[in-house]
Amino acid sequence: MASLDVALKNAMNIDGAIGVALVDYSSGMTLGVAGGTGEIDLTVAAAGNTDVVRAKMRTLEMLKIEDEIEDILITLGSQYHLIRPLTGRTGKGLFLYLMVSKSRANLAMARHQLRTIEESLEL
Amino acid sequence: MTADKTETILPRRSARAARAATPPAARPLPPSLAGDRSLPYPAISRELAELRHEIPGVHGCVLGGVDGLLITHNLQNEVDPNDLAALAATTFGLGRQVGMRLGQGDFQQSTVRNQGGYLSVYAVSEQALLAVIGTDSVNVARLHLHAPGVAGRIAALLTRVPTEA
Repeated sequence: MASLDVALKNAMNIDGAIGVALVDYSSGMTLGVAGGTGEIDLTVAAAGNTDVVRAKMRTLEMLKIEDEIEDILITLGSQYHLIRPLTGRTGKGLFLYLMVSKSRANLAMARHQLRTIEESLEL
Repeated sequence: MTADKTETILPRRSARAARAATPPAARPLPPSLAGDRSLPYPAISRELAELRHEIPGVHGCVLGGVDGLLITHNLQNEVDPNDLAALAATTFGLGRQVGMRLGQGDFQQSTVRNQGGYLSVYAVSEQALLAVIGTDSVNVARLHLHAPGVAGRIAALLTRVPTEA
């Protein structure tokens, strides 16, 4: 079981990682961030992506699909953004948000590692 | 058992003759912003409307003075905007006292979260406050990112020297 700081540090060790945040999607507030660049404010990214997660959850509800989001992949020209809601009992209402460089990352590996980090994260 | 009845861990107030003899000098207050007809109301209303449209879950905004008097609002429910302007000033009063006691400077922002929603109060200028009412599901982080910009633009509108004065 990894604590929040360890989890964020492990996420930054994923090849090509640019930044990572743990976000509460009921408020859009971050519980922790790591990485990021001068131009990218992770708290802004967290607040904005909260709306992405909420929109998808609402869509599933409207479609009456009784399932949960495992992860969301957003592909940009130069980056991948991965969103992974926490599944543990203590992580309800939270999601991990990872930005990786498209040229430096292995998407399948990054996704796998993020799942491992999410599963071992204990708050 | 033998403890003095007047002894307590809480501080006791007692009259001080020296202080009572010299009350602080009356400080002239600036005129209230409430009821000032020279303010650019249409431009202020546009800013308030933008905030409501930009962030889902925002019911409405109230612009009030630090004196608790209503300047303008865009609420569309049955809540009395005058009450909210007064509540915003009350929140500001608490924030200001905390800032003074802890030496943290001027009041900036205060958020109250209840079971069914939020009330966030932002400092606009020395004289004005912006109160935002949101549902429980409002994206507060986005509100906190967006509202200070709106407050800053409203502050500029409030201090703009009226053209026909």
